[in-house]
Amino acid sequence: MSDNMKRRDFLKGAATGVGVGLLGAMGLYSYSPLRKQHFTQVERKGADIGMCKSVKVTNISETSWFDNGNLMGDIKGAGGLLVNQYDYNWPPFGNGKGLGKGSYEEGIAQIKHLLPGRLDEAWEIIKANSVHPENAGGYAALVEVEEMSGQKHKFLLDVGWSYKWCEECFKREGIDKMLENKEIEALFFSHEHFDHFWGLPVALKYDPEITIYIPEGFYPEGLQYIKDCGHKGKLITIQPGLNKVMPGMASYVFAIPIICRVYGEQSLYFNVADKGLVSVTGCCHQGIIRFAETAYTEIKYENDKCYGIYGGLHISPFEDWDPKYDDLVITLGDYGFERIGCNHCTGVLCAKKFIAAGYPVVEGTARFRSKDKAYLGNGDVITFG
Amino acid sequence: MERFGEGYLEERKLVKRWSGPIPALVSLVFTLAIFYLTWWIFQDPRGLMRMYTPYVGYMYCRWWLIMMIWMVYIFNYWPFKRKWLETTHPLVKGSILTLISVVILVALIKGFFEGLLGNYGLAYFNPEQLEKLPGVTSFFAIEYASLAILMFAAIASWLSPAWVVAFEEAPWQKLTQPAKGFSILIMTFFLSTVVYFVTMHPHMGILYHPWQYFTSIAPPYWEQFADTVSGNFHISWIMCCTVVVWLVETIWERYPFNLIKNDWGRRFACFFGIIAIAVAMHFFLYFAQELTWGEAIRGTRRAFAPDWRWLHVGEMAIFFLVPALFIAFYCNNWPRKFSMPVNVMIRTILTIVGAIALYILYYKTSHNFLGTQKGFSHPQQFPMIPMIWLVNIWLVHHWFMDNWPGWKMVPKTAEEIEADHTAHQAQIDDIRWTPRFGAGLGAGVAMGVMFYFITLWALPYVYASVNIIPGK
Repeated sequence: MSDNMKRRDFLKGAATGVGVGLLGAMGLYSYSPLRKQHFTQVERKGADIGMCKSVKVTNISETSWFDNGNLMGDIKGAGGLLVNQYDYNWPPFGNGKGLGKGSYEEGIAQIKHLLPGRLDEAWEIIKANSVHPENAGGYAALVEVEEMSGQKHKFLLDVGWSYKWCEECFKREGIDKMLENKEIEALFFSHEHFDHFWGLPVALKYDPEITIYIPEGFYPEGLQYIKDCGHKGKLITIQPGLNKVMPGMASYVFAIPIICRVYGEQSLYFNVADKGLVSVTGCCHQGIIRFAETAYTEIKYENDKCYGIYGGLHISPFEDWDPKYDDLVITLGDYGFERIGCNHCTGVLCAKKFIAAGYPVVEGTARFRSKDKAYLGNGDVITFG
Repeated sequence: MERFGEGYLEERKLVKRWSGPIPALVSLVFTLAIFYLTWWIFQDPRGLMRMYTPYVGYMYCRWWLIMMIWMVYIFNYWPFKRKWLETTHPLVKGSILTLISVVILVALIKGFFEGLLGNYGLAYFNPEQLEKLPGVTSFFAIEYASLAILMFAAIASWLSPAWVVAFEEAPWQKLTQPAKGFSILIMTFFLSTVVYFVTMHPHMGILYHPWQYFTSIAPPYWEQFADTVSGNFHISWIMCCTVVVWLVETIWERYPFNLIKNDWGRRFACFFGIIAIAVAMHFFLYFAQELTWGEAIRGTRRAFAPDWRWLHVGEMAIFFLVPALFIAFYCNNWPRKFSMPVNVMIRTILTIVGAIALYILYYKTSHNFLGTQKGFSHPQQFPMIPMIWLVNIWLVHHWFMDNWPGWKMVPKTAEEIEADHTAHQAQIDDIRWTPRFGAGLGAGVAMGVMFYFITLWALPYVYASVNIIPGK
């Protein structure tokens, strides 16, 4: 055999061998227990956010929309879950052109002159021009934090969607007066979605100077809407990551894509004395487990314990189900939460599965159009600490 | 005797109309234009029919792929006659064959799955049956039904070509069409049904509340191993099988299985070899995600969820298919001048590089022009759909249109066909066991293992240095 032939044979063998060796290693090693030695241990940053005495959350409204069929019908009819939320022709941005043919500019032009003070007149125009105005509700919560000294602070988390519904809920819970009296220090927006954000003029009607915190990722329309609603206070954009607010309270911005062309979500962490970590969310698009795991790696909290959670936990907002949601139901028990208050996008079925699994779900009263006692519904209150 | 399309692909000679890479580039531009136009018409959430919901669009996309595999690989263009295939203008031929594939596609989904199975067998194949469940909206009823139908398609799109590629159409290879086609169709459909019931039916069973313990295995048998109850674990390796079967058929020229002289030994080795390679990919691509993003955490949503990680294995695998088919369809399976193992290795390296580049390009840019969501793990971000849609366009172009206009189809003469067979056999015969081959094989195995561990070491650093998602 010539040298050339030998070389060629060696190359043929080597080319074949590389594939065999590579695929063999891939198959035998990649999912073996040995792979775990390649993972770095999670480095706990343990950021100190201080401590508070207690947190109380009043549910102003969790019924962001009243009928899943209507909402999903609109979304489907307008082109699906990726359509820009300002294009659906939902209230308040109705331009009279029908589903999926809306635009921020045309919608706001109809009502801008009435914001934020003349909301009844604005709503009459909106009703005439929008798709399913009666289906709009909204998500909003009042968060009261008590310092270790006993001093109390009030914050608003989100402001709902429908001007009409939102105003009714604000009055029912006395939020209008609190805003007028400047008792509420700031408004946190969890994210830019219609049902959390578009009711803004209702809050500004009573306090146009309120400080607003938004997560990074708002679109130009959203930023313009804040101006067009008549906001005169400070607008603070929070970058992804941890943001300390006051002793025992921090917000965390997760840079994640969400349906209807929304990006980024801000949720709240509290370190409650003697109890542990309390998490309050608008929708929790980042997922509860990631929310808890992020706290584990990022911040220091009492007893190293996840104590409570409140809010929309974003599992089956449209009452759909998927086996992967069962992964969450099965796993949540490992995190040891002692008080779970859920509503809005958690899904009633999910809340019932939590209860069936024996988790400490704080049940509600199903008043003011909330549908089920498995939820903490409209007007219900939960306290931590 | 009348001759139908059997052997047409092998016996056609595609002659370049222009020199160098121009025909490939023209084909790329032409097919990308068709891709974007049809994406806008059928799939794009901002377009006309908006089928990217995403499952409705995916279901049609996936079954259309299988329709073409059935028509070309299993039925060998039957009932079209060879003369018609050779003399009809590619545009006419492409239009007629595509239209037929779509008619069969719609009949299969509306008639067989939704109409027959959905109404008389398994309710979840029919959206109207699902809507009868309290609380299930029309939107999700359609999505669930589409999911079930497309899960079936994922399995069929592996097994249908596998019977031709691995089993070489045996034991029916000597039958004439349509007997051969129907035999293979029934066999692969039967196997698909068995695999569906074992891998996907439990997934659909636990989709209901309460879990359907008495009609499906719940919790499913894979729960502990896969760290999820979701059937995405199976989507992962089945998608890898779908990709590997085409790698074996195109850029690998069935190497090294074609070295086995015993017919049934070769066929079984190839069939199970494809599965073994796919499982290796399945485990590795999952591990790659753990190395770059950190360990998955059960119960999380999105990027850290084991179920999504398994799904993303399938999504990553599909990126390998695109460059491999481009090399095979438009680059005449370049290179061909070295020995078969070396040719295979070079094409594989090119495919890996192409897949990585396409992956980065897709996630960086696709949300801007496809109407999909930004980011990796959103339920509205499904790279499998546009990738398979592009592959479908290429199959139409390559199988139904003879790569028009970059190439012209000329039937090979009997001498040319014979010369091809001889050359191919010579390439196979060229690979013999010699001490030098053995030494090379040993050295290659060592290099392959070393390359694997170097990759494990480098992956986190490489990933950290590339910002794939803008604004991440």
